[in-house]
Amino acid sequence: MTETNTTEPWLDSSQKPYIQIENVTKKFGDFTAIDNLSLDIYKNEFFSLLGPSGCGKTTLLRMLAGFERFTEGRVLVDGEDISEIPPHLRPINMMFQSYALFPHLTVEKNIAFGLKQDKLPDNIINQRVEEMLQLVELTDFAKRKPGQLSGGQSQRVALARSLAKQPKLLLLDEPLGALDKRLREQTQFELMDIQEKLEVTFVIVTHDQEEAMTVSSRIGVMDSGKLIQVATPTQIYEAPINREVADFIGDVNIFKGIYKGQDAKGTQLLSEDSKSIIYATQKVDVPVGNRIWFALRPEKLEITRKLPEVDCNILKGKIEDIGYGGSFSTYHVKLENGRQLTAIRANRERTAEHHLTWGDEVYLHWSPDSAVVLLS
Amino acid sequence: MANQAKKSLFKRTFNGRNAAISIPYLWLLLLFLFPFVIVLKISLAQPIIAIPPYTPLFSWGDSLWPKIQAGLDSYLFLFSDSLYIKAYLSSIKIATISTVLTLIIGYAIAYSIARAPTRWRGILLMLVILPFWTSFLIRVYAWIGILKTEGLLNLALMTLGIIEKPLIIMNTDLAVYIGIVYSYLPFMILPLYANLEKMDMNLLEAAADLGCRPFKTFWTVTIPLSLPGILAGCFLVFIPVIGEFVIPDLLGGTKTLMIGKVLWGEFFYNRDWPVASAVAIIMLLLLVVPIILYQKSQEKAIS
Amino acid sequence: MTRFSKFNVSAIILGFTFLYLPIILLILFSFNESRLVTVWAGFSTKWYVELMQNQGIKDAAWVTFKVAFISSSVATFLGTIAGLVMTRFGKFRGRTLFSGMIYAPMVMPEVILGLSTLLTFITLAIDRGVLTVTLAHITFSMCYVSVIIQSRMTSYDDSITEAALDLGCTPFRTFLLITLPIILPAVISGWLLSFTMSLDDLVIASFTSGPGSTTLPMKIYSMVRLGVTPEINAVSTILVGLVTVGVITASLIGKKQKQQLAQN
Repeated sequence: MTETNTTEPWLDSSQKPYIQIENVTKKFGDFTAIDNLSLDIYKNEFFSLLGPSGCGKTTLLRMLAGFERFTEGRVLVDGEDISEIPPHLRPINMMFQSYALFPHLTVEKNIAFGLKQDKLPDNIINQRVEEMLQLVELTDFAKRKPGQLSGGQSQRVALARSLAKQPKLLLLDEPLGALDKRLREQTQFELMDIQEKLEVTFVIVTHDQEEAMTVSSRIGVMDSGKLIQVATPTQIYEAPINREVADFIGDVNIFKGIYKGQDAKGTQLLSEDSKSIIYATQKVDVPVGNRIWFALRPEKLEITRKLPEVDCNILKGKIEDIGYGGSFSTYHVKLENGRQLTAIRANRERTAEHHLTWGDEVYLHWSPDSAVVLLS
Repeated sequence: MANQAKKSLFKRTFNGRNAAISIPYLWLLLLFLFPFVIVLKISLAQPIIAIPPYTPLFSWGDSLWPKIQAGLDSYLFLFSDSLYIKAYLSSIKIATISTVLTLIIGYAIAYSIARAPTRWRGILLMLVILPFWTSFLIRVYAWIGILKTEGLLNLALMTLGIIEKPLIIMNTDLAVYIGIVYSYLPFMILPLYANLEKMDMNLLEAAADLGCRPFKTFWTVTIPLSLPGILAGCFLVFIPVIGEFVIPDLLGGTKTLMIGKVLWGEFFYNRDWPVASAVAIIMLLLLVVPIILYQKSQEKAIS
Repeated sequence: MTRFSKFNVSAIILGFTFLYLPIILLILFSFNESRLVTVWAGFSTKWYVELMQNQGIKDAAWVTFKVAFISSSVATFLGTIAGLVMTRFGKFRGRTLFSGMIYAPMVMPEVILGLSTLLTFITLAIDRGVLTVTLAHITFSMCYVSVIIQSRMTSYDDSITEAALDLGCTPFRTFLLITLPIILPAVISGWLLSFTMSLDDLVIASFTSGPGSTTLPMKIYSMVRLGVTPEINAVSTILVGLVTVGVITASLIGKKQKQQLAQN
């Protein structure tokens, strides 16, 4: 008897997606903002839409909220087709990038606003508002007006207000964009806690990849109105589907070359840079002679002064640049053919014993299962 | 196409959005646009001694079809008597000169307020607007007392010994210019100020940094950037002044020909409504292009 | 680079002298003992006393205030709707014409507005009186209100409206509960502006009024044609005084509101 997979429902065929976006297209005149996009999101997911500006992620979000109409396609929430339902009747709430707090109402009244529209009895409204204020830790600020709040406080009021109605789906448009780094990191974890506690499905739009990776159950990488890859943060990082995704998230070293077949050590790539064969464990199924790429994350590159005692994947170069980051250091190593690679190494030693410095001749190597083979 | 829920035709026509558009729309159609059609119709009629004092367009006698009475007599009359043509030209001349004068004075004041320390600007602006809120008629009237031959201006100048004989300003074109500039100054200052206040001072600093002398900076940077404000102000003065009545009537003389005065005279004194209407139609034709230009410039500014 | 130069200072001083001197002289001579405008014969309030006994002026003042109050209220209602339609409703059939009808009355010479409106009333067989003046005033005032509202809406955060919709508020209730309270200062300025313009209008009222509905500007104008008298100065001073008090009160209220929103 197969157990219902609750942590990765997208892998479980017995589970029905909570939100089904079916072949949705959005055109503004001649410009296609969303191009035949389909996506399934499951209940209680914290789903991120990630991509560069202009990729269509905000348009898609606004379409879910009801502020843009579809040119084609439809969206189902919990089995119900919401495509024609106006925004004020949808079981969806949104947290706006500008927070959009009502300036003439107190924090309390802001949060209560949505509940009042549903004509709930006053005692229930007051109770719910209390709960929300406690959830975002703003109980003392209930009677203040938005003009008297800081950026972080405004953001929490906006969040409380959008959750007050216990929506089936919460949409968040770049919610942490206006906060400073420290506050942002703190709030990311708070958001995750709140999402888990309330069991609401979140869809968040962001251009900050670190943020997406931290909070998401899955990430949808978008570009030019299309979804390029939908996967968990780990998969997106360690198994990107193409060079575009690999390059978009974090740093990456990409090796270009010709596929030379398989042997005992793995897939062979005749690298353009080193003019030698480098290996990856991942198998491929393309004809020999095709162009393929290896993607290698900088932290997977070992950097040493002495020749490493391995039998493949060794490159020789000179340290051009060092970026000291406290807990780790970034090394830019120039190979003999002029190509520069990036390696990251944790500063595990406090003292200067193993310190590498500018101009050092070094060896770079990596294990074959560290590289990802890309076909495009 | 996305699945359309079939809203009834009734719901689609009588929804809130259409109601909101229709209410002011219908009002303006009825009381602003439709009246011009009426004016046109009456301009084609004959003046008669009756109430109302013009011939109807359609009159039913014994036959089934109405008898149509329309003619271009009023227009021919306007073109035959050189007085009217002179009045149109004179109005354009006076409006143009007044606009330029108002622009120069208004720009100086608006510019100075925009460069004043920030905390004073609000008060200064309010002081500029305050006279505007008091009665137009009263302020024009105030000038009569000043500009009369026995008025305060001559009294002051003669007492100071600057002149010996009193200046004849009242009932001349000069008085009209003074009156127009005085009354329309706020209309020029407000759009100019709105534009100048938003101007990025960094641009002026950049010009200075690149070696541009202040006077040249003014001509090559400030003026072009304030052009939208200049245009708005000029439209707001030029177009209404063409048809101005009160100022030329109270401050101008018999020789001051302005088409607004002519229209008033035709209507109230000559009781010739068809000619008054014809005067109005021609004035409208003159102004249609500036009015459309004004509307377009305002739409651009808002969007 | 806000160099507040000597030129700027002198421009402002000269400008304000030019603007205020006539009004000050007007007020001054309303207290003149003698009839003459140029000779100061001593302080006297006798012209105000005469004014109080002038029934014609008192009737005209009452008509004027009635017309101003009603027309500005209706004009504010219509103009606010028009302003929202222009800025929030995007494209719709007939928008260009609508836009033209909103902007044109603001620059149209008053003689044309007056004549055309009057002829329409006659064609529609509406008797001239307080009603017709009020209708005419509403028509041109609403355009000014519309422009004020449009200007306010350009700095209005649209996402606030979207947030209200998103939280379940119908478009109409959003307007009442959210939009209107936020733009209320602009709506009030619109009302005040309409009130003042109606109070002040001579030309359009002359065309569209009838027997028994003489307005104050019409009365003053007929008195002025007969010659300058201090009684006119007295009426003018009272009007100027009322308007000044009104404007100062309005701006003080506006300041207080702004302070309240910021602190609390």
